[in-house]
Amino acid sequence: MGAKVPRNFRLLEELEKGEKGLGAGEHKLSTCATANYLRIFFFSEACSYGLTEGDDLLMSNWNGTILGPPHSVHENRIYSLTMHCGDEYPDKPPTIKFQNQINLPCVNPKNGVVDPSKLPCLSDWKYSNTMETILIELRRFMAHPNNKKLPQPAEGSTY
Amino acid sequence: MAALPKRIIKETERLAREPVPGINAVPHEDNLRYFDVSIHGPQGSPYEGGIFKLELFLPDDYPMTPPKIRFLTKIYYPNIDKLGRICLDVLKSNWSPALQIRTILLSIQALLGAPNPDDPLAPDVAKRWKEDQEGAIATAKEWTRTHAMT
Repeated sequence: MGAKVPRNFRLLEELEKGEKGLGAGEHKLSTCATANYLRIFFFSEACSYGLTEGDDLLMSNWNGTILGPPHSVHENRIYSLTMHCGDEYPDKPPTIKFQNQINLPCVNPKNGVVDPSKLPCLSDWKYSNTMETILIELRRFMAHPNNKKLPQPAEGSTY
Repeated sequence: MAALPKRIIKETERLAREPVPGINAVPHEDNLRYFDVSIHGPQGSPYEGGIFKLELFLPDDYPMTPPKIRFLTKIYYPNIDKLGRICLDVLKSNWSPALQIRTILLSIQALLGAPNPDDPLAPDVAKRWKEDQEGAIATAKEWTRTHAMT
């Protein structure tokens, strides 16, 4: 076992991974002037995330986006969600809430909150899991044979 | 958790035994690679009188790679961004294992005394620093009073 990365530096790593973007790889922090994006994205299995407020020194509040998986009722839909990383992150998982209405077994239909007991990457949370892990797993969950044909609320409706 | 390398133990002991004036670095009890740092703003700079909090982490491969450092106190400075990240060559490409926590913190303190708007991490601050230096310095003093003197 190596050094344990403290919360804030772990979140900076996730942020900087987002700034690089998947496959882009050219951006390095040494080019300081470009390291200042307020809203950053990475694209991996059509998910992205960024800090809600670019000057949030505690890096607690994040926005995520999931592009609905193809060959499902979610195809071409864009789902926005919020992720809150508390003081104990990444020892404890963030809380996740959909902003766009979705009919999915792990999501509370009243308020869009993801039930951590119903999503394996949250119920069986590991220190090495990241916000990227969660977004990708949620997208896979949407595409699961049991879920991909569930009737959905009108596109664009929010909680 | 792996044992702490001798190099880190020695550096920590020396920081406690022979503290650098105006600089304080104390490891967390539950993570000896993670330090709470405070730096006094240098005399004659817009940051004079302020005490700035930072956090420092020594990654697994330290000292082959530099420590990770970030300001936790808001500061108006062209080479420090809104999340407290610092643009300083010795923290990146010019890092050498011969450098230490002590020398890095001294470099950061010196950096505060010599803002460099030509190599900015906060482009908006750097622009203002170039176009209206007096105004930028006034804002830096104001932020020091508001955020670093409480």
